[in-house]
Amino acid sequence: MPASTPALTIRDLRFSYPAASWALSVPHFEMAAGEHVLLVGGSGRGKSTLLQVVAGLRELGSGSVEVAGTRMDALRGAARDEARGRSIGMIFQTFNLLHGFSALENVLAALMFSSMPAAGHEQRARTLLSTLGIAAADADVDQLSVGQQQRVAVARALAARPALVLADEPTASLDPENTETAMDLIQSACRAEGAALLCTSHDPAMRARFARVESIDEMIHGGAR
Amino acid sequence: MSARTLTDGQIVMRSLRARPLSTWITISMVATSVALLLVLLGMRSAARGAFDRGSGNIHLLVSADPSPLVAVLNGIFYANSPSKPISWAKYQSIRSAFPYQWAIPTQQGDSYRGFPTMATSADFFGKFEPVAGEPWKLASGRFFERPFEIVLGAAAAKGSGLKLGQQVFLTHGSGASREGGEPEEHAGHEHGEFPFKVVGILEPTGSAHDRALFVDLESSWILHAHDRRERAGIEGVTTSADLEDDDRKVTGILLRLPTRAGSDASAAMQQQFDTLRRDTAIVVAQPAQQIQKLFEIVSNVDGIFIAMAVVVLISSALSTMLALYNSMAARTRQIAVLRVLGASQGRVFGLVLTESLVITMSGALAGIALALLGGIAASAWLKASIGLVIDPSLDPRSTVIVLGGTVALGGLAGLLPAWRAYQVPVADNLRPAA
Repeated sequence: MPASTPALTIRDLRFSYPAASWALSVPHFEMAAGEHVLLVGGSGRGKSTLLQVVAGLRELGSGSVEVAGTRMDALRGAARDEARGRSIGMIFQTFNLLHGFSALENVLAALMFSSMPAAGHEQRARTLLSTLGIAAADADVDQLSVGQQQRVAVARALAARPALVLADEPTASLDPENTETAMDLIQSACRAEGAALLCTSHDPAMRARFARVESIDEMIHGGAR
Repeated sequence: MSARTLTDGQIVMRSLRARPLSTWITISMVATSVALLLVLLGMRSAARGAFDRGSGNIHLLVSADPSPLVAVLNGIFYANSPSKPISWAKYQSIRSAFPYQWAIPTQQGDSYRGFPTMATSADFFGKFEPVAGEPWKLASGRFFERPFEIVLGAAAAKGSGLKLGQQVFLTHGSGASREGGEPEEHAGHEHGEFPFKVVGILEPTGSAHDRALFVDLESSWILHAHDRRERAGIEGVTTSADLEDDDRKVTGILLRLPTRAGSDASAAMQQQFDTLRRDTAIVVAQPAQQIQKLFEIVSNVDGIFIAMAVVVLISSALSTMLALYNSMAARTRQIAVLRVLGASQGRVFGLVLTESLVITMSGALAGIALALLGGIAASAWLKASIGLVIDPSLDPRSTVIVLGGTVALGGLAGLLPAWRAYQVPVADNLRPAA
């Protein structure tokens, strides 16, 4: 991806749930390559929904979503899934790791759907895990501490060298001290990999970590939410 | 060493190992039903083989039984003693009417401890083969060479416990007989004046002949001539010199027609069959044809058993489907995560379908192994206990059909769970658990 290509461009996006009295409406939203943006707003305001629309997990009503130059909304089925696996990494509040699989296998799972040659998968996964401080790469994720599981989740999100990482309330269940540690980890890892980061949070304390903060409230039209 | 990757196969195997009890139960069910089906098919095939054995290189069987099928059942499978005899003169006229390769007279009716006796000529061992291409073989001793010598079939020897050199007394019909010594007073139909000496024990042939005892035809005639003379009040030991034409009877004639070199078939078969059929005093049977007829009669019965086994197999496929389908509820998050990482709906569908196929394929292979081991054990037991030789190997065609059918069923069983996985709403399943 050329450095000048935005990591994310949203134009005239409209999305609403069936029978909902409100709608997401984003006339224009752009993130430069490698840019870190915090999307703030209270719980249930639609932050997660916007991330899911960007990831192509929900069909938008109108408009366009372009990730690293690829129109996600124009792709269908397997092509969209492949584009997501190649260009987008996702980090969740509860990590959503594959249970019964090792830390290494969780990272390899992200690589198996990427365009990266298979010969380089193990080295890439082990390097990432080692960089993020996971020594026991072959340990089952269920045997790791919560902090270690979060590191595995970050490694998995960055494994396929995505242009954009979507972090959905990654610190919502952590205390302030661990929130700092987790955000240090996520942001530094994204910087090291050159990935843009769109992070959602309802925690006002997070604003200080980001040069750019956007509010979801400005993207909602209609209805009393 | 090659670099590690994660593959679809590893994901499938990991999913199966995550539910060990369910996986093993479904594999065991499939294995049991496949083994049951293969054993039933094998038994049908083995039974057919066992019936095919015995008529050997006979082309035609002549008797005075009520029907050709009864003639074959009595004359080859020792089902009952033939009810009506054929005169020696009739035998001679049949033998001389056509240049048969051989025409072997047989007489049944006596027994030893429930084992049937076949009185015949030396050609029975020299020319008749109980299984085409497999002549008689002796386990010990020799074939009979003179009257009052007896040769034991393998199962008869094992069942009676008789050894070479022992003496036996035959019973008229299927009554009790005893071994050696003087005749018992209460043994009403025992031919107590005429001891037979065991001179040979045959190797198993896998045919009904293994249950029989074989004696020289003249011995049998003498036994029955003695009965006739006793009834007439004539005293003294009966010998061959005392035989009258009416004593010389047979109950069957084994015929082999001329054949071309290297062929078992005879061009004269149909013509000779039709010629013999015109004689209303006898029935003539083509054993192969009658065995086919017999199998048509019993095929309805084994068809029911096989249908039951197929139903069990379908039930095991349904169990596989239910186990997989129910597991989907606990796996929606895993499926959603795979989708987020880039797995397409089709790939997720394929993963679940593959799980079903792995379960049924594993079950089918285990079932084949089970059927094979069971067959070997059953075969060894049958041979050791009753001398019945049954080929324990599985019929390749049946095995391939059962394997293919099981895998196809596995594919069908996987469709519904795979469809459920295909339809998992990704975004809804990524939320933190409530």
